[in-house]
Amino acid sequence: MTQARTILILADDDPDDRLLTREAFEEAGFAGTFQFVDDGQQLLDYLDTSRESLPGVILLDLNMPRMNGYEALSELKTDAALRRIPIIVLTTSNSSEDILRSYDLGVNSFITKPGSFGELKEVAKRVIDYWLGTVKLPPQD
Amino acid sequence: MSSAGQLKSLADHEEVFRLVFEAAPNGIVVVNDQGKVVLVNRQAEGMFGYSREEFLALGIEDLVPERLRGAHLHHRKGFTREPSNRAMGAGRDLFGRRRDGSEFPVEIGLTPVPSPQGMLVVSSIVDTTERTRTENELRRYAAELERSNADLRNFAHVASHDLQEPLRKITAFGERLRTHSSGTLDTKGLDYLKRMTDASQRMQVLIADLLTFSRVSLQHPPCQEVDLDQILRNTLENLEIAIAETGANIHIPQPLPPIEADRSQMGQLFQNLLSNALKFRRPGEAPEITVTARQEGATVRLQVCDRGIGFEPKYAERIFGIFQRLHGRNEFEGTGVGLAICRKIAELHHGTITALGEPGVGATFTVELPRRQPSASPS
Repeated sequence: MTQARTILILADDDPDDRLLTREAFEEAGFAGTFQFVDDGQQLLDYLDTSRESLPGVILLDLNMPRMNGYEALSELKTDAALRRIPIIVLTTSNSSEDILRSYDLGVNSFITKPGSFGELKEVAKRVIDYWLGTVKLPPQD
Repeated sequence: MSSAGQLKSLADHEEVFRLVFEAAPNGIVVVNDQGKVVLVNRQAEGMFGYSREEFLALGIEDLVPERLRGAHLHHRKGFTREPSNRAMGAGRDLFGRRRDGSEFPVEIGLTPVPSPQGMLVVSSIVDTTERTRTENELRRYAAELERSNADLRNFAHVASHDLQEPLRKITAFGERLRTHSSGTLDTKGLDYLKRMTDASQRMQVLIADLLTFSRVSLQHPPCQEVDLDQILRNTLENLEIAIAETGANIHIPQPLPPIEADRSQMGQLFQNLLSNALKFRRPGEAPEITVTARQEGATVRLQVCDRGIGFEPKYAERIFGIFQRLHGRNEFEGTGVGLAICRKIAELHHGTITALGEPGVGATFTVELPRRQPSASPS
């Protein structure tokens, strides 16, 4: 899968974080498409209507209205068609309970949002290098 | 051998026994095998509000609230069949009934006494109204404390997320502004921007430290047997960079003893004390730090001694207060939370921490902890 065709979903209801995350990924060299959703429910709805072109990676905030990150995570990881999509939790939390709970629910990566934009860009670079460069994502027909 | 105090006759004995009986701090009611009151002391009169004459016309069930009489009768018959001593406090939730019908909580000890008149039962009664009230108050107080602790935990959680959130954005957008507009901002503008982002970063550290402090304060550490020596070695590994940068010499003359404590809090204690010793070094000199811990009786005495800048003795207590700093931000970094956390940890382990210092000579921090935690269950 080439990066240009890759869709990256960011599930986060905070407009500032959306802006910062998008800019960080763009400046870090992400060339694919960004898709934003506000909460877990919107994420599931979006995935339901785009089964033909599933995202390469989902960036998931934990603290969201309506359906939070945990609920979304457990829905996604128990859905036979969606469970293969790598999910990276991107949250302000660094509590061990949140980390353990996320991994228990099947998350592929847990990243605490860094305090500065420079660090966020660094994180974006690594996510792009690893998830969109190094690893083989599940092939789509 | 005889003396003036000796009891000479049976009558003397009886008189003494009567006086003892009357002076007993408990109410005493003696009943026969029919449950009729045959003897009471003064305390019982005051407790139930009956005169001695009135008492002698009563059955023991008259002294029990009506709602409990059926059960009491049943128990009494059981007791008469198989009499045995029953200690005070063995019965739960017992109540007495006064002459005016009011009830009061009691504790009762029962002693069967065989006599020529048949089996007598001596009831020794304590009015526990005051104690019950105190216990209820304590229970209520404990519940309130638990609730307010839960509020504080909640506050700590809110502080960690909701307060950090806007700060993170101020920092991030400050950076964005610098990157994008450094061409249009003049030197003064850039300086303002830098001060703004520096301040918000300091606030982030402040909140993070406060959070650590509140987490420590609210945790009741799960204590177990831990190897202080191992914990100290781990801490030194964590501080490897700072130790290398300052060229510090850490002396550990003897292995540290084991202790019953919370592992992570002991790690935090070492970390904070050693970071302090590394930080407050004399300019241009490599820090010399000595760490000792010895068991002295039931106490483990732990000391971290440095030859750093020290402090005025009058500050020996103040430095353990939260956000207390003795130096300007330009001289030494830090929020003034480290030693407050150390004190919290010592207190949570039923111990103490004290500091001795002399300006230009150094500082010694002494932590005294019980070798075993008093409330810990034996493992």
